[in-house]
Amino acid sequence: MKLRDQFRFVRQNMKKNRTRVYMTILATAMGCAFLIVLASVGFGLQKSVVKEMTERRIMTQIDVYGQETKENGEYRQLDSKDVQAFEEMSDVKAVTRRKMLQQEGFYSIGNYQQSTQTVVANFPSEIKAGFELSEGSLGKGKTEVVVGYNFPLNLAVKGEQTNEFFDEQGQLKEEYRYNGKLIGETIDLTVRKIEDGKEIEKVYSVTVVGISKKPTKEWTEDRSVYISEELLKEIEVFTGTPKGIILDSANQVNLADLEASKNTFDDVKVYAKNMEAVQGIVDNLKKKDYATYSVVNELKEVNLMFAIAKAGLIFIGTIAILIASIGIYNTMTMAVTERAPDIGIMKAIGANPRTIKRIFLLESSYIGLIGAFIGTIVSYCISYAVNFVIPLIIKQAFGEETPPKLIFSDIPLSLPIICIVICYGVTILSGLRPAQRATRVDVLRAMRREV
Amino acid sequence: MITIKHLSHEFVVGKKGKQTFIPILRDISFEVEKGEIVTIVGRSGSGKSTLLNLVSGFIHPKEGEIWINGEKVSQLNESKFADFRIKNFGFIFQSFQLIPSMTAFQNVELPLILKGVSEAARKIQTEEMLAKVGLLDYKDHYPGELSGGQQQRVSIARALIVNPPIILADEPTGSLDSETEEDLLKFIKELNTELGITFLIITHDEKVANIGHRTIELKDGRINQGVLV
Repeated sequence: MKLRDQFRFVRQNMKKNRTRVYMTILATAMGCAFLIVLASVGFGLQKSVVKEMTERRIMTQIDVYGQETKENGEYRQLDSKDVQAFEEMSDVKAVTRRKMLQQEGFYSIGNYQQSTQTVVANFPSEIKAGFELSEGSLGKGKTEVVVGYNFPLNLAVKGEQTNEFFDEQGQLKEEYRYNGKLIGETIDLTVRKIEDGKEIEKVYSVTVVGISKKPTKEWTEDRSVYISEELLKEIEVFTGTPKGIILDSANQVNLADLEASKNTFDDVKVYAKNMEAVQGIVDNLKKKDYATYSVVNELKEVNLMFAIAKAGLIFIGTIAILIASIGIYNTMTMAVTERAPDIGIMKAIGANPRTIKRIFLLESSYIGLIGAFIGTIVSYCISYAVNFVIPLIIKQAFGEETPPKLIFSDIPLSLPIICIVICYGVTILSGLRPAQRATRVDVLRAMRREV
Repeated sequence: MITIKHLSHEFVVGKKGKQTFIPILRDISFEVEKGEIVTIVGRSGSGKSTLLNLVSGFIHPKEGEIWINGEKVSQLNESKFADFRIKNFGFIFQSFQLIPSMTAFQNVELPLILKGVSEAARKIQTEEMLAKVGLLDYKDHYPGELSGGQQQRVSIARALIVNPPIILADEPTGSLDSETEEDLLKFIKELNTELGITFLIITHDEKVANIGHRTIELKDGRINQGVLV
């Protein structure tokens, strides 16, 4: 018997008791919609969390904090040897290393001033990693500096800064902000040290030769001032400490530690050639006892957690389908009982029991698949409604605004596929016993209408 | 064509442990040649329907062998017998055994569907067969909308549609009036003469028994040798 004819049979049979079949399909559709909507919450929240994580960080970036020493298990700071080793690793695009002036740099130009971070960066590696200038050039001489894009935006009029200085977003108002050009201008960097309990200041005049490009992420600011290595050394000579650290009674530092940090970097970042290479580099670094952090690592953990949560939700949803399958079992058992005389006649004229079984299995899976299909459409509608309505409910009920990009329910293509596969499996199982019963219908009893 | 060798059968009555065995057929042996019409007669309870059910494969014999077209069918399993049945047998039942939810056309078409014949070929063959039994105009009628004679014709059309070499008939005229009975017997004769179809007919009707080339009478589960013609 051809499959097409089997389908025709199934459709004819289903028409015989439409209401019962429709109700069974409805129950299956509800079970499937429940599974999909339930799991879609897991998928939606995961999507929101991952989006939040990936939007705020660079995916190919690996922060390296230090290397665990074998002697005492403590972490030592990284130096140029480490950086060289990182650069030699495969799939590494760039290794940026920065030294930080260990005190807040106090910068002033004319009647304007600001305190900010002072950095010594390795520009070739920074450029490889994506650093760009919006104007000017990179500093070549000892007193030439590059400032971050947000540096001039925070140069405020000297004096005590009151709330009046800032707008609603916390940005310095234009009237209090330095509006002149910076490229080619000289700014003063004031560095401090404590000697015999007294604070001594020294001013270094530097020339701004470049301004970095506006950060691509709206919420990040680059207010740093990038000075030369030579200038940092001069500051170290003045303070008598590595990286200009201020030694006072409140800042007790181990002298050995101080010495050790002399030629080390404060911020080392390894950039992989692509996202796929990150895990390999991280594994390699971990093998060598380096402490690392990458979004990929964090993503892996987050995804694992959500995978467990989603599996749990799908399992709960499957229970709904299992309940619906009882309906399918009942419908199929009734169908076999009602059609037993017809089955008997078919067997008498030569229908193979295998064919009878296939027809009934096809019928149960047909009911299941139609239910799954309707359930999928319904769940897409519910998902859309949930994403639209829930923020309104939260706002009305709790007076809280939800983040604009928060997704409560998301249905990736894999979810309906999982649901359809589960539903198909469950309906086949629930149709199996009635189908087997159909094959065992006794021809003679059926023809005598005794079954 | 059909060879029955020492066929015995019994029915089991009662629950396990308290079962009673009622012998129905005892050591039956006979042969039916190709193109023969053999009628089996006997009183009620003589075992004639059981004999036909054994030949049809609806039940398995306790003892003995059934050979059809040189193949020993008495030990075939249900699935293999189903395949054998659709190739070799056509059935005519006393109560027609048409599927009530199917039209005359669909009932006749059913064996072709089970054989896997294409839809286009099925349509042609089914209409031809319905025309042959004079029911083409009634093809869209359901069994409930047809007379007993018409239903039996549909049943015959269904039996003939796969060109079976053997037709097994169980009281084929049992539900028909005498005029329709005459027509049916004439038709059976024609089929036998023109197409060479072998008939094994169970009946208690003398008129039907008389159309056979041979008649076998069963009495108490045995062949009554004296009446074997």
